Amino acid sequence: MFKDLDPILHSQLRLAVISILISVKEAEFTFLKEKTNATAGNLSVQIQKLKDAGYIDVIKQFKDNYPQTICRITRQGINAFEDYVKSLQTYLGQKIDL
Amino acid sequence: MSEYEKQLTEKESLALITQMINKAKDSYHDTGTGAMMWGAVIAICSLVKLSEVHFDYRLPFDIYLLTLLAVIPQIFITIREKRERKVKSYDDTFMDYLWLGFGICIFLMIFIINSIFHALQPMAAEYKSLAGQSSSFNLSEFIAPLFLILYGMPTFVTGAACKFKPMLWGGLLCWACCLIAIFTTIKIDLLLTALSAVAAWFIPGLIMEKEYRLYKKQQILLNV
Repeated sequence: MFKDLDPILHSQLRLAVISILISVKEAEFTFLKEKTNATAGNLSVQIQKLKDAGYIDVIKQFKDNYPQTICRITRQGINAFEDYVKSLQTYLGQKIDL
Repeated sequence: MSEYEKQLTEKESLALITQMINKAKDSYHDTGTGAMMWGAVIAICSLVKLSEVHFDYRLPFDIYLLTLLAVIPQIFITIREKRERKVKSYDDTFMDYLWLGFGICIFLMIFIINSIFHALQPMAAEYKSLAGQSSSFNLSEFIAPLFLILYGMPTFVTGAACKFKPMLWGGLLCWACCLIAIFTTIKIDLLLTALSAVAAWFIPGLIMEKEYRLYKKQQILLNV
């Protein structure tokens, strides 16, 4: 019996964002936009969903008089990502055995 | 459902995770400015000191004071590089502390060596008055190996942690020069110190700078 994959993470852009944030300490919004090739609007929406789920922290501040958004993964986000990867591995492993 | 809410197959998910982790890993390139500057400063200081010893003249100031002056541009370089970074990795924090610790060790070493010199001066004077000649022991000949041990440590660790071979080999060269310098005269010690600074920092700095320029060009092309 397969464990259900986390619906928050099992979506292309949100998974891309969380995969980047798991590898770094923190990243600017512009960096995430550049790496995911997403539009600013869509990225904002997905980041808000990750924030609402408690998976990331979003810090808004000013840098050289320009607004700057910094994203950072939370402990809850790390746990969710680890569970998601474990579920994927289990699923793929069992699927291959079949 | 929008494209951005697109549900993935399990294989697609794993592929996406791998791709994004690799993209994040490849996101930061050091400008190499700091490494080049320190390589040049240490090499210049050693070579000027060598010329002082060889041609028997003294500058009105200690040439190694240049290293203190170099801290000022280093602060500006660090601030500028941090401002330009759009991402902060876990390695960055580790490297910052490693090199800060190295700087502290260097200044402590200078303090210790000066203290030893002061403590030995009366003993050397007493020996000269008793023996009628100076001792053949010259502490200055053992200073370079002590600094070369320190030069090697953060260079080797940075090279290994960042998988940057020029620095890894540079660190190893510092330690090799340290071993050689134990048995050589002060002139050779100074040459070995200059060689180590060029190999461990200046050349890797040049390579980093070249890679950084290439990365920037690629970023511009991608954004066009």
